[in-house]
Amino acid sequence: MGEETVSIEISRELYEKVKKYIEENGGFSSVREFVEFVINEVLSTEEEASAGYTKEEEEKVKERLRSLGYL
Amino acid sequence: MRKVFVLGLDSAPPKTLYERYGVDIPVLGSLIDDSRRWLMRTCHPPITIPAWLVMFTGKTPGELGIYGFRHRKPGDVGHTYIINSNFIKHQTLWDTISRAGGRVGIFGVPPTYPPRPVRGFMITDFMTPGPENQYAFPPWLKHELESRFGPLIFDVKFRRHDKERVRDELFQMTRQHLKIIEYLVKRKAWDLFIYVEIGIDRIHHAFWKYFDVSHPRYEENKELSRVIPDYYKLIDEGFKRIRKALPKDTIIVVASDHGVKSMAGAFAVNEWLIKEGYLKLKEKPKKPGTDLTREMIDWDSTIAWGWGGYYSRIFINLKGREPKGIVGKEEFDDVITQLSNDLRRVKGDNGALWRNIVLRPEEIYPEVRGDPPDLMAYFDDLSWRAAGTVGWDTPFLPENDRGPDDAVHDWHGVFTVYDPEGTVSRGMGGEMPIERIADYLRELMLSKS
Repeated sequence: MGEETVSIEISRELYEKVKKYIEENGGFSSVREFVEFVINEVLSTEEEASAGYTKEEEEKVKERLRSLGYL
Repeated sequence: MRKVFVLGLDSAPPKTLYERYGVDIPVLGSLIDDSRRWLMRTCHPPITIPAWLVMFTGKTPGELGIYGFRHRKPGDVGHTYIINSNFIKHQTLWDTISRAGGRVGIFGVPPTYPPRPVRGFMITDFMTPGPENQYAFPPWLKHELESRFGPLIFDVKFRRHDKERVRDELFQMTRQHLKIIEYLVKRKAWDLFIYVEIGIDRIHHAFWKYFDVSHPRYEENKELSRVIPDYYKLIDEGFKRIRKALPKDTIIVVASDHGVKSMAGAFAVNEWLIKEGYLKLKEKPKKPGTDLTREMIDWDSTIAWGWGGYYSRIFINLKGREPKGIVGKEEFDDVITQLSNDLRRVKGDNGALWRNIVLRPEEIYPEVRGDPPDLMAYFDDLSWRAAGTVGWDTPFLPENDRGPDDAVHDWHGVFTVYDPEGTVSRGMGGEMPIERIADYLRELMLSKS
C-alpha cells in the first residue's frame, strides 16, 4: 500500500515554473517530487534548530567565547 | 507595507556616529543628518546578548530569561549553558512582519543560531559554531553564498597582542559581510532586512586606546591609531554600495545595541568579596588570574561569589538552592541589602569615588524568567570591567583578566530613522529605550502606507 496523500493547491503560474525547471534541469521526476523535496528540506532546518547546539557545537562555541575572553 | 533596512552596528556610540569624533563617514553621516536621531538607551545588562534581542522583541532581558551569553543552573559555580536561538520564546519583529505577509532578510542578529525557517532568508550570527555548520535558511542559501564569497567568517579573535593580524582579519570579515549584504539586497525579495555587523564592536575593543585621546592609557601609534577611522571608512563605502541597491522608498535605520567607552581597568570582584568576608577560599591560588571553581571555595564560610564580564553577576550561597548553602531564605533579603550597599560603597584604589550600580533582577524587570543572578553590579558606571578570576593581590587590575581589551560598554547607543518619503521628521528625538524599538519599527512598517 502506498503512503496516504492529500491534495493542496498551488498557483498555475508556480506549477508551470516548477514543471519547466524540472524539464530543463532534471533531478526530479515530477512537480510533486520537487515540492515534497523542498518542503522536507525546509522542515529539516526546523528539526535541527529545535535541538539547539549539539554537544560538539556547544564546545566549539565555548572555545570561541573563551578565546574571545567572554568565558 | 513599507520596506525597512536596518544597519545594525554593534556597540556604535553617539560619539562616532553623531559627533563624528575621529571618523570620516560622508555617506552614513549625511544619511544620519537627514534622519530622526535618538540616543538609544540600552538594557540591563548592556551587552550584545541580550541587547539585540531586546531591540527586536521589545521584551526585557528578564522576560526573555537571557542575562548574557552564559548562564548557570542553580547549584553550579561557573556557567552551564550558552544561549542559542532556541531560547527565544517571544515573537521577534521578523516573526511579526512575516505574519503580516512581509518577507524578511536577517543577517548576523545574535542569537539566531541555529537558523529557523522564516518567510524570507536568515544567516546566523557570531555564535554560529563554524562555517561548516548549517547557518542559513533556506538551507541551499549556504551553498549559494559560499560559491560566491567563500566560507562565511563569523567572528575574529580580537583579544590578542598581534594587533596587525586582528585588524587584517576584521577588515577581511567585514568586507565579506558587506559584499554578501549587497548581493542579498539586490537578489532577494525582502520587506524587512536586518544586518548586524559584529566587527565594529571588535574593532572598538581592540583599538579604542589608540583612538580616543581621553582614554586613560591613550597611545598614539602611526599604524594603530588609524584602524578605527579606516574601519568606519570601510563601513561607509560598503554602505554606499548597499544604499545604491536599496529600493528608493526604503526606510533606512541605523542602530546599535549599546555604546562604548574607555576601559579604566578591571575590578576583581571575587578578591573584593574575599576581603569583605563574603567569600572564603580554602587557600589562595598560587597563580593570579585563576578561574574560581567549586573545589576552591570553603562553602561553610561563603555567602556570595561573582562572575566577571562587562558586568558582574553575584550569586548568594542560598540554602536549599546551592549544594552547601549557608544563607537561609529568611536572611536572604537582609544579605542582599547589605551586600548591595557594600558594593555601592566600593571606591577606586586611590580612594576615587565610584558610581556603582547594583540591581536586583526583580526590581528592574516586569518578569524574571530563566536563571538570573541574585545581583547585577556595574563598577564606576561600567568604566571598570568586572573580573571573576582570583589569586590577585589587589582587586584593582590595570588590564582585563581575559586578554587585552581597551573598551567597555556604555548606556547610550544610536537609533536613527531616515524616511525618503518624509513621514519621519529629521532632527534629534531625545532618548529611545531599546525596549520600544520593536514596536516603533512595527508601526512604521505596518501602519503607514
